[in-house]
Amino acid sequence: MAACWRLLSRTVSVLGHGQVCRSVLLSQTREKKRWMKAYTLLMERKRRIEGEPAPKPRSQQPNWDYHAEVEAFSARLKESFSVELLKTAFVNPCYLRSEEERRRTLGLDAEGAALNLRDNTELREHGQQFTLNFLKDWCKSSFPNLPEAGVTAIVSHLTGSEVVCDVARNLAVEELAMAAEFPVPQDILRGTFFAVVGALEQSSGTEKARLFVRDFLVTQLIGKDLFDMWRVVNPMGLLVEELTRRGKALPEPRLIQSAGASTVLPLYFVGLYSDGKLLAQGPGETLLAAEEEAARVALRKLFGYTENRKPFDFSPPQEKPRTAASRAAASG
Amino acid sequence: MTARGTPSRFLQSVLQNGAGRYVCQLKRVSLMFSKKGQSSLGVREFIEDGVVDFAKKNPGIVVYVSPQSCRIPKIVAEYLNGNVREELVTNKTSQQITELIMKLSNQSGLDIIRIRKPFHTDSPSIQGQWHPFTNRPPSRDPIGPQEPG
Repeated sequence: MAACWRLLSRTVSVLGHGQVCRSVLLSQTREKKRWMKAYTLLMERKRRIEGEPAPKPRSQQPNWDYHAEVEAFSARLKESFSVELLKTAFVNPCYLRSEEERRRTLGLDAEGAALNLRDNTELREHGQQFTLNFLKDWCKSSFPNLPEAGVTAIVSHLTGSEVVCDVARNLAVEELAMAAEFPVPQDILRGTFFAVVGALEQSSGTEKARLFVRDFLVTQLIGKDLFDMWRVVNPMGLLVEELTRRGKALPEPRLIQSAGASTVLPLYFVGLYSDGKLLAQGPGETLLAAEEEAARVALRKLFGYTENRKPFDFSPPQEKPRTAASRAAASG
Repeated sequence: MTARGTPSRFLQSVLQNGAGRYVCQLKRVSLMFSKKGQSSLGVREFIEDGVVDFAKKNPGIVVYVSPQSCRIPKIVAEYLNGNVREELVTNKTSQQITELIMKLSNQSGLDIIRIRKPFHTDSPSIQGQWHPFTNRPPSRDPIGPQEPG
């Protein structure tokens, strides 16, 4: 502010030769607005010194009706949230604290400053537990051969800050979430999303909440590779472990193809054999890299997470018995 | 400008929309118009005839009607991915505005730029990309010089 005032005073003294117009001009004149250029330059300098203005939350911009937005949020996702629970889910404890602090600084007493609002701590815990359990069950049923560590890795990728915040931002949770600061920090946004899941579970039942998580979180798995989510440093060790667990012979790496070994771009293909059968083959620029890649390919095949597996089924559940009965009734 | 110089993107959707369930990506529409202006005549007609039906048919879209003195009536559409589109509706009829709003509500909110192809897939080949060793049986003979020199 001080910088701004200094700028202003300097500009005025330069432009107006020390004269400042005191009377307010009421009549309009049609002419070239020569003051406009100086004003624009001043504003540009001010912005250069002070930086860009802080982003303003959508709720402080014109055309904002919180109740209508919350109802539209529920209708948009084709869910029947209970509005009370949904509104509770958006209230973060940090918002309550900052709001009460603000009221106290404005001079309200303790009774007046107290907000009669519930925060989303319970819903958040509930939703997080629910999401974790559902995702774990889903992974186990979709990839029965995947070991425990892999399931944990997939679940923690899906419930991690990055994926959940991306989903929450693209579902307009960020602008509805009430938080102390803006932009909403990642962990608070993540918590708010889980609170929304918890509110859905409590207002329309487990089945709906499962479909919600499946439709919005599990779809983020599309196009993801297993080892992007699961850091395996030593794939060969894991493969040996996995094969011994299944009682198969240990893998033997063999060089099966190579090209351009004496050039700057050599290519080796290493095949892994177990019991004389080819498990997998992988390319690489060095023998070690090729062997590691082959081990990864073999692991993907063992775990059933190859690139060309059958796509996940995200279709809405059909009530089969009823349709069969209705068909029978229609034909008979 | 040639096609190579213009910005482009692949066909894509927000959050894999439609893989699970379809979510209408338009979240908010604001109609800015003047109560008296001649150029806002069509918008005022649309507000009389169609806006309530539109809002009832699309409960997921919040419609704001804000009269203010302006010469150029506008429709501001906000999408779930944070993009905001302003459409000027000067001297448009009620019918044209209905069509425009329907168009806005069917869009995904991604930038409207050239789309390279009308189809896209993340996994272009099920069998894997061809390379010179595809379908070649593993060589049984010892493989040539492995180390240079």
